[in-house]
Amino acid sequence: MRKLLAGLALAALAVNCHAQQTIKIGVITDRVGVSKPYSEPATEGVVFGANEINAKGGVLGRKIELLIEDDQSRPDISAALARKLVDQGAVFILSVSLSPATQQQQTVTMEAKTPQMTPMNSADYLTTQLDNPYFWQTGPLGSTQIATLLAHARSKNFKRVALITDNSELGQAIAKAFKGTLEKAGIQIVAEEVVARGATTAMPQMQKMRAANPEAMFLAGVLTAENVLIFRAYKELGVKFPIHSSYNLSVPIYETVAKGLVDGITFVDAYDPDKPEVKAFVAAYKKGTGKDPQNLHGYGYDGINLVADAIRRAGSTDKEKIREAMQQTNYAGVMGAKGMKYRFPEGKRAGFDPNGMVVRVYEKDRQGRVLHVGQK
Amino acid sequence: MQDLLELAVSATASGCIYGLIALAYLLMIRPTGIINFAVGEWAMVAAFGGFILLTNYEWSYPLGMATVVAFMFLVGWATERIAVRPLVEKGAPLLAPILALLGVLVVTREIISVSFPPDPLPVPFPFGIGRLELGPVGGSYQSFFIIALTLAVFAGAWLFFEKTLWGKSFEAVALNRRAAALMGINLSRVTALSFAGGAGAAGLAGLLVSPNISAHYLMGVPLAIQGFTALVIGGVGRVEGALLGGLLLAFAEQFIARYAPIPSGYTQGVPLLFLMIFLLVRPTGLLRAKA
Repeated sequence: MRKLLAGLALAALAVNCHAQQTIKIGVITDRVGVSKPYSEPATEGVVFGANEINAKGGVLGRKIELLIEDDQSRPDISAALARKLVDQGAVFILSVSLSPATQQQQTVTMEAKTPQMTPMNSADYLTTQLDNPYFWQTGPLGSTQIATLLAHARSKNFKRVALITDNSELGQAIAKAFKGTLEKAGIQIVAEEVVARGATTAMPQMQKMRAANPEAMFLAGVLTAENVLIFRAYKELGVKFPIHSSYNLSVPIYETVAKGLVDGITFVDAYDPDKPEVKAFVAAYKKGTGKDPQNLHGYGYDGINLVADAIRRAGSTDKEKIREAMQQTNYAGVMGAKGMKYRFPEGKRAGFDPNGMVVRVYEKDRQGRVLHVGQK
Repeated sequence: MQDLLELAVSATASGCIYGLIALAYLLMIRPTGIINFAVGEWAMVAAFGGFILLTNYEWSYPLGMATVVAFMFLVGWATERIAVRPLVEKGAPLLAPILALLGVLVVTREIISVSFPPDPLPVPFPFGIGRLELGPVGGSYQSFFIIALTLAVFAGAWLFFEKTLWGKSFEAVALNRRAAALMGINLSRVTALSFAGGAGAAGLAGLLVSPNISAHYLMGVPLAIQGFTALVIGGVGRVEGALLGGLLLAFAEQFIARYAPIPSGYTQGVPLLFLMIFLLVRPTGLLRAKA
């Protein structure tokens, strides 16, 4: 009996040791809310990346253990979940739900001195509103997206353009930014239209645009279903002006849900299919999961690899050392134009190179080649 | 002029969708007094049914559509059995089933949300993407298909209520539940059928609109609001009111967006303005019930 007890105690100790050996990384995602179409693939990228790292022996000889929580993109829930993850011993938190939810988590990570990063959120304010040295952002900023798209548009010498968006908060914000930048460049906006969430047609808006006869249309909407309505009306009315779209069209769902409607549309993206890192990632992901990854998977994959890289360089799981190492990041990942590296120079904590985005074009129903790189 | 006619076709098609949703509300509200906001989610369920049968399994359109609508009848019937009847039998106040049905709304949406990928899913057009010209009037095949089918449904519903004994028993329950029960009308059967019919109408609307707006888990609530507004405009008294309300709402929405000299962002407020004005000035809607 005593032997058995001793054996059990030893076994328990062993299990305990094993548990201590993992490095706990928290992930806050959105499984049911508005950000779900973006958060789910990104989270799959995180999980795939963690499995890949673990298969290669882990970090500092220890396996990564992901603690995944769902905040439904709600700021009122997200901070409590960040607290829960800190209490469970997470040494790093990856945030892949909506920007406002990520922002709210910072109240916890700043106070608990726990490193936190969003590999995907694009809101410009995340690293500027709060002076939180434990927070970084490696998704391309909204302002970078707009500047890149307009740099490409500038090369076309447009004089008169139309602008269309939806009534979502993000769609409105992007439209406002488009408008400001276009007007600053001396380009006249001859029609400005909004398609409301839940609309059943975009016919009136597209008719107005046709009547205004612009040289091009800028699309700032982010709601997939409403964007498809816009493309359908465009096709049905047989208008010909080219469409330049925000980053939203880089989501590959348009290849299936807008079949036959997207050929020739240019859009801004952070993903170049010809980049060697992307090719390697796509091959590995396909081999590991049997599925083709999207660009959104790349964000999560880069996120977990950036964290692993920082912990490796820190040489320990001490949060302060990880923070210092993270700030010194110099890493080439899947996302970004060829040769781009994530860096946080001069104390900045937004790490996506302003010249790292690209403009691509839909060829038939597929996201095709890169037409333009950076903001020049 | 061409713009005007083109827009008229598009607005009529949208109005028919709103009208079908309004009809779904009306079918349930007349005999029972219950407002069921889950109609939008029912439209969503049918749209996902369309995605499964027509996109995934590539069934022929008539067969797929018949199956989806039949399934929706079943969903409506089951909803009444599970969420409404037990409360009515226990003598709960009218608010209880309305709240229970709001619960059905949330549960339905969450089931769809966790069972399907998060992105909008494509549902095919029965006649493909194309344009039909009838003299000066032109529009997409789908617009004309929606209009034709909706008119058929409303004609059927009108005939049912005006010409059949079953329809009369619905009307009798609507006028006076107690008296109808005393006359030997089976109240629970009428209620069950009204929910089945409501789900059928809402499901048809969802299936018809889904090739345009795609099947996605957040599509229900806007449809529920548009249909409800159409119902308030048209009035709950008569079947034709639902269609009239839907058409008026859609024409107002689209013609104001096209021609009114106000910034495009403000036009979204128009339907809600309509809703408020009608509730204040004419809460019974345009068409009154026959005495």
